[in-house]
Amino acid sequence: MPFNLRFAIFIVACVLAFTVMRILHKDMIPVKYSLLWWIAIIILVVLALWPDFFLFFVNLLRFQTTSNMVIGVFIVILIFITMSLTVIVSSQKNKINLLIQEVSMLKQEIKDKSND
Amino acid sequence: MEEKVLIIIPAYNEEESILNTYKTILEYNQTHTRQLSTIVINDGSKDKTEQILIENKIPHIQLIHNLGIGGAVQTGYKYAYENDFDIAIQFDGDGQHDITFVDALVAPIENGNANMTIGSRFVEGSTSEFKSTKARQMGIRMISGFIKFFTKVKLYDVTSGFRAIDKSLIKEFSMNYPTEYPEPISTTRVLKHGKKVAEVPVKMNERQGGTSSIHSWKNAYYMINVLMSIINIGIWRD
Repeated sequence: MPFNLRFAIFIVACVLAFTVMRILHKDMIPVKYSLLWWIAIIILVVLALWPDFFLFFVNLLRFQTTSNMVIGVFIVILIFITMSLTVIVSSQKNKINLLIQEVSMLKQEIKDKSND
Repeated sequence: MEEKVLIIIPAYNEEESILNTYKTILEYNQTHTRQLSTIVINDGSKDKTEQILIENKIPHIQLIHNLGIGGAVQTGYKYAYENDFDIAIQFDGDGQHDITFVDALVAPIENGNANMTIGSRFVEGSTSEFKSTKARQMGIRMISGFIKFFTKVKLYDVTSGFRAIDKSLIKEFSMNYPTEYPEPISTTRVLKHGKKVAEVPVKMNERQGGTSSIHSWKNAYYMINVLMSIINIGIWRD
């Protein structure tokens, strides 16, 4: 891989790592939601510093260039991140549903009692 | 001992018909020994539904936010569970359903022949003139075929919203009920759990007011979702 590409990947990894750390520091997300991002960052760093590390896989899967594999790997990681977001959103939706139901029932009970 | 029966009416913008629907239940109570309790679930209606419910002292729960049909009906099941009802009946607030069929719907549950009964337009004995559009009937037949394939039980009016369930299912539904397209999906689950479902012929009218929760342009989307849900429930063993 050309040095320019490796350098760019390293910069991106640093920016990503910095962003994730800041988000974590501000308590905007719990650590468990950051794990997938850390995996992405580690892969990026390895790619930038030891691109030969992936050469085995590049040859095994017959990627024409390492950068093609980088893109491929990232598409897979992003799919997983999106999927985990879908799961999180759905479970949030269920919890909100439950809250709306319980709050509505309670509210009605209070209203009915005060009318009696 | 007489079973405690609750009529659950999910209502979204039903100002034109909700009062009439409630009056038919009051009439039923005057002419029968069985007394039906009612709870209207006002699913965040934007019209005067809430005002009508309050003015006429109709027992109801106003949801603080619109949940859709599944979430609304489930609120009714929760209410039924907390208040120890034996049978809960889902009943439309738009005048489509006829309260006089409640006895027929409840009988198989009281006799222990079914855990769930579905008021059906398509089984023998139904005098229903309103049978929905051709396209929708085809959709219903397709869903019915899928349910038959996965559960070995043939049901005809799988999307009917006129249904009664027993105490065991009240508990189950109050904890876990599909939020979207609830009727065919919950029926499939019930069958998968080895419970008995019976269809009872009923008469249905064309809706008096409001609009159906299933719009024509959403039909294809509806079908894909329902069929995939049935497959997903069907292929897993419980």
